[in-house]
Amino acid sequence: MLGWIRIPCAHAHRLLSERMDRAIATDDRWRLRLHLMACDMCSRFERQIDLMRVAIRRFGE
Amino acid sequence: MEAASLEDSLAALRPTLLAIARMQLRNEAWAEDVVSETFVAALEGSRKFAGNSQVKTWVIGILKHKIIDQFRRTKREVSADAQMEAAQVETFDELFAADGHRVDRPLDWGDPEATLNRTQFFDVLQMCVDTLPAGLARIFMMREWLEYETAEICKEMGITSTNCFVMLFRARMRLRECLEMSWFAGEAKR
Repeated sequence: MLGWIRIPCAHAHRLLSERMDRAIATDDRWRLRLHLMACDMCSRFERQIDLMRVAIRRFGE
Repeated sequence: MEAASLEDSLAALRPTLLAIARMQLRNEAWAEDVVSETFVAALEGSRKFAGNSQVKTWVIGILKHKIIDQFRRTKREVSADAQMEAAQVETFDELFAADGHRVDRPLDWGDPEATLNRTQFFDVLQMCVDTLPAGLARIFMMREWLEYETAEICKEMGITSTNCFVMLFRARMRLRECLEMSWFAGEAKR
């Protein structure tokens, strides 16, 4: 019944990147949220791309 | 501020500004030009500028504008690179199993602040951005360093928004891998 909400890591990775560049759909936000609760690897990826964003913005500071 | 001391500060900043401009523009002559234009603008505007400690921030702000001007002047070349890159297909399939789950384990990068406090980390980051194809690097830096909205990038580069998201994703995936191999893997062993 909850099949719609389950996404593979490959999809979660793409959504994590995409939401840095635009607001993603509500369904996708839920899929991602639940995926991250269960998946250490995607949570790690999330922290890594966040760090990259902060680091790039500090160039020249 | 004395004119002479501003000149000294600018001269000292030159290598940093050039490195940033090269990373963004991926063209040596353009990078030299925008840094020179930045210096002219800084020296001309020096009377408006008060305060010693923030010279760098102020000059970087000017550099950003000069880089954007450069993109506009060379729009045809820059958008041709972006469009060529948009046609590339890169799935990262090797990272994910058939069921879509990740095969390799990304490393734990530890405390972000500790990383950001290391000057050498920024050298590695710069090296990693420099390994990206020009079309990808420019879009990525426009998004992350110039802080353009994605819609503006698509418009400037003449690519679809889908291409834009895919290219930003590819840039992040490649950069992540480069940083992991060139910095974090070594850090973990220390």
